[in-house]
Amino acid sequence: MKRKLGIAVIILFSAVTSALSANKINVVTTTSDLRSITELIGKDKVDVTSIATGYQNPHFVDPKPSYIIKLSRADMFVTVGLDLETGWSPQLLSSSRNTKIQKGSNGYVDASVGVTLLQVPSVINRGEGDIHIFGNPHYWLDPVNGKQIARNICDGLEKISPENKSFFEENLIAFDSKIDLKLKDWTQKMAQYKGAKIIAYHNEWVYFEQRFGLTIVDFMEPKPGIPPTPTQLVKIISEVKSNAIKVIISSPYFTTSSSDVVSQQTGAKTIILATSVGAFDSIKDYFDLFDYNIDKLIQGLK
Amino acid sequence: MKSRIPCYIKVILIGITLSISESAFSQNDTISKSDSVLLKQIEKQMNSQDQSQKAAPTRVAPSTLPDISVIGDFQTSYKNNTKHNFDAGINEAELSLQSVVDPYARADFFFTVGKDPATGKFTFDLEEGYLTTLSLPAHLQLKVGKFRSALGRINPVHPHALPFISLPTAYENYFGEGINDEGASLSWLIPNSLFYQELVLQVTDGPIDNPSFSRSVGNTYFELAHLKNFFDLSSNATLEVGLSGMTGENTFNLRSNIGAFDLTYKWKPVQFNTYKSFTWQSEAYFSNANTPNDKVVNSFGMYSFINFQFTKRLFFTGMYSYSNKPFSASIYENSYSATIGWYATEFQKIEIEGKTTSSNVEDEQNQVLLRWIFVIGTHGAHQY
Repeated sequence: MKRKLGIAVIILFSAVTSALSANKINVVTTTSDLRSITELIGKDKVDVTSIATGYQNPHFVDPKPSYIIKLSRADMFVTVGLDLETGWSPQLLSSSRNTKIQKGSNGYVDASVGVTLLQVPSVINRGEGDIHIFGNPHYWLDPVNGKQIARNICDGLEKISPENKSFFEENLIAFDSKIDLKLKDWTQKMAQYKGAKIIAYHNEWVYFEQRFGLTIVDFMEPKPGIPPTPTQLVKIISEVKSNAIKVIISSPYFTTSSSDVVSQQTGAKTIILATSVGAFDSIKDYFDLFDYNIDKLIQGLK
Repeated sequence: MKSRIPCYIKVILIGITLSISESAFSQNDTISKSDSVLLKQIEKQMNSQDQSQKAAPTRVAPSTLPDISVIGDFQTSYKNNTKHNFDAGINEAELSLQSVVDPYARADFFFTVGKDPATGKFTFDLEEGYLTTLSLPAHLQLKVGKFRSALGRINPVHPHALPFISLPTAYENYFGEGINDEGASLSWLIPNSLFYQELVLQVTDGPIDNPSFSRSVGNTYFELAHLKNFFDLSSNATLEVGLSGMTGENTFNLRSNIGAFDLTYKWKPVQFNTYKSFTWQSEAYFSNANTPNDKVVNSFGMYSFINFQFTKRLFFTGMYSYSNKPFSASIYENSYSATIGWYATEFQKIEIEGKTTSSNVEDEQNQVLLRWIFVIGTHGAHQY
């Protein structure tokens, strides 16, 4: 009798948990920024997992088979696109055996759609390093582009769950309003540093640079993806001195050994900015990402 | 005779039935959702006429051409105990064409132009050419065509992607340049929420010029099963354990069976995965070959290597291999090799390897190899 009761409890528990999870849209995103925005739009209607962590280089994620399990169960897949994840996400997608999230399906969301792209190459030549044929893919680092990303994610969620359209639209309006509000604050804070010259490690800050009026004079990498060379360091040291540059910005996934050399020679500070949500413990969502970066940058530029 | 089904089996069966019916209902639901989505999309497009839209971004012109790449493999080598000690030249050029066919399948073709070591002449060959389904139910995936068999960790990988130049002695003794054959492969992603499990079943015509197996003139086919188990030990470390079993006709028109076991541990810090990593990979082969006069030969081979990444561009691989021969358990060979790799970018690498092989029947062989691998175009990612 006890055994039968135990089995009945297990079945009931499984049914309840299955029913609860069945009501949620299962979303897998390539990056943690897309996860954060999806959570802000979908709220309790979505269950979101990100493949890349916030402190990981999104160009070079290892396509572990364990990600295939998550993708095989997903209702929606959100990608940065523009070839950012070309080295790993196509293989994972085709191995997922999940038709709902293949390119062209309702569950495939390219977050870059509608974003005005920068640095679109007119000539494609690998001699220029790791160039992206569609343009610079780090567009989420402009909060205004965050609104377009949110629009795309909202459209994707509405295709999967049209009955919740008004709920997602309300959340999108709230997201856009918060971006507008925060943007005023961020631009106000950065206003006195308009035109400030900086050095960056990798060419991934162009959208941030343009939005907040910075000037990136040069990169530690002589060409995108090529590690700093002694010749490049000499050039950077000279540029830092001649332009009185105070700050070198880098990302959590690059070593600081080369920028430390420049810092020692010139006194410029190396600041590790966050490229994605979760890069540091305090960055819990997409808004925190800009709060953190702007505060850090201002500390360095003072 | 009436069979009695245990109570817990009934519970499992009810559970499975409920799951299937749930997914069936959700499919119907999806159809009705799609209709309403279409209506909503039309509605939305009509309503959005007055909404200000951003200008369409400049994008590269779309193309239906497949991803095309060419991989060059330039090699030079020195070997003792041979008449011709030095050799140099293009070892192989690989042309790959890869694309999605339609919403239901993708196709991958790899052509090679390889040099015949005996004549020095180049020959054009189909290395692999297969169609993979994208839309089978129940987490199944079917592959048909010519493909590298899902045997262990080395066989499915193209040689240019391996972190060493010469293949492990045990692998060469049992599989030559690899089992690469025509037929069908069915893969099932086992619904296991605890860890990744994939079962692959393959039936092919049978390899040609292989030390263990031959293509049958009769109705004996080469059959292979591989179970892959993959565990995330932490965010930085993974473990893969694989079991393979294969059976087919051998050169004596009798049956050979091989069981294989593979174990791979990888450590790659997520944050600095482009700067440092460590891999320890091993495989063991247990061969059971029937030979004339009812003689059965049970033999064994294994290899184990470690691969260290010291910096973004510098790699070291050290390997040991022990091996019998498929039809002789009394012959044994030991080999040691060390490879240093310098990766300029993800599109170019240079490797230099020293290898020594000793045997109880032949003189010791020493060799030094150097290869330069380079790729132009767009080449798909390799397996993890």
